Amino acid sequence: MNIPLNIDWQQILLHLFNFAILAGGLYILLYRPVKNFMKKREDYYNDMMQEAENAKEEAGRLKEEYQEKLTQMDVEFEKKRTEAQKDLDRMRQEQLEEIKKEAEELMEKAKAASEQEHKKMLSKASKELTEMVVSAAEKITLKSQGDPYEQFLDIAERERLDGKEK
Amino acid sequence: MGKKRWCYLLLWICLIGVLLAAGILVGAQGGSEETIQEAMRDAVLHESNQVSLFGVRLVNPGLISAFIVTGVLLIAAACIRIFVIPRFAYVPGKFQLVLETVVSLFDGLAKSNSPWRNNFLGAYIFGAGAYIFCGTLFELFGFQIISDKGNSVALPAPLSDINAAIMLGVLSYFVIVSGAIAGNGLRGIGKALKEISLLISMSFRMFGALLSGLLVTELVYYYVALSFVLPVLVAVLFTLLHAVIQTYVLTMLTALFYGEMSEPSHKKKK
Repeated sequence: MNIPLNIDWQQILLHLFNFAILAGGLYILLYRPVKNFMKKREDYYNDMMQEAENAKEEAGRLKEEYQEKLTQMDVEFEKKRTEAQKDLDRMRQEQLEEIKKEAEELMEKAKAASEQEHKKMLSKASKELTEMVVSAAEKITLKSQGDPYEQFLDIAERERLDGKEK
Repeated sequence: MGKKRWCYLLLWICLIGVLLAAGILVGAQGGSEETIQEAMRDAVLHESNQVSLFGVRLVNPGLISAFIVTGVLLIAAACIRIFVIPRFAYVPGKFQLVLETVVSLFDGLAKSNSPWRNNFLGAYIFGAGAYIFCGTLFELFGFQIISDKGNSVALPAPLSDINAAIMLGVLSYFVIVSGAIAGNGLRGIGKALKEISLLISMSFRMFGALLSGLLVTELVYYYVALSFVLPVLVAVLFTLLHAVIQTYVLTMLTALFYGEMSEPSHKKKK
């Protein structure tokens, strides 16, 4: 049968044969290997991303855990600090009281010592005064040429009389 | 501009002048006289200038072109498979990027147009796309072959041969039918038969598109005076455009109809 336009079944089949070889060859040699490689790379990066996600999740979990531990430690630390503060206050109070006591004792001792010293000084002064008076009296007596004893008695008598009048 | 560059430019202009003069002087002589009508008719039908296929029978020059394109593509693919693909890295180089882009382009086209059963479709449109694109560009090389009449014939694009265009159009239609059957069983055949016009439209669209380019080129080359400068626009640019457009059109249509036909039909609720 003569088909117009020079259409030839045999040549169509030869073209088909040629194209089948080409399409199959290109699929085996080029399309499939390149696609497989791209799939492999995609899987690789997906795995990497998955690992990164897992690591991120793990890090988040660890962070929460450490945060919790930190909070616990803060509470514990605060507790210990309060206890230490209390101990410190107590010790300070004790020391203060001890110092106060010692100071009081010292004061007592100092007071006693000073009193004793005062008495001692007073007696010494009195003694010295007496001696001075005696000495003065002696001197006076000697100056007035009279009997000192008589003069003394006169003075004593005069003072006694004055006292009665008053 | 340096002195050396000026020299090159002058040399180039002289060379063009010599070629132009040679073309004008030689053009009128030699070879059998063929009218423009005969040249055009022959470009379309290949009735007179046929080529012997290994001495077995006479075939259109397009078939020889198809064999050569297939051979070159397969050798290139084998070289890439042996020397390039084993060295693929996760961070691609330039050539790897080109290969991956081409494969992704057809794979993506198949997946976006046909979410169902797209593995086979991707492989098919990759093969068809490579064949159309490289086959159309093959025309640019203008390899010569001796016809049965003893004339020198430039090998055309394989798909400018109507037999190749019919083959690819019909095959694409059957691929679409196979998708319809795979997706919907026997009901798919009915669905695919509704689009039987695709058989004709796909075949002749491609034949017409590629033939038009061939005819324009043939027309331009027929007259010696038009054979300078103009072919750069007509042959190279038109051929490049044809290559891209026809590749896109056929693969796109095939993927689109395949996706439409292979979509599982939803039963209507009563």
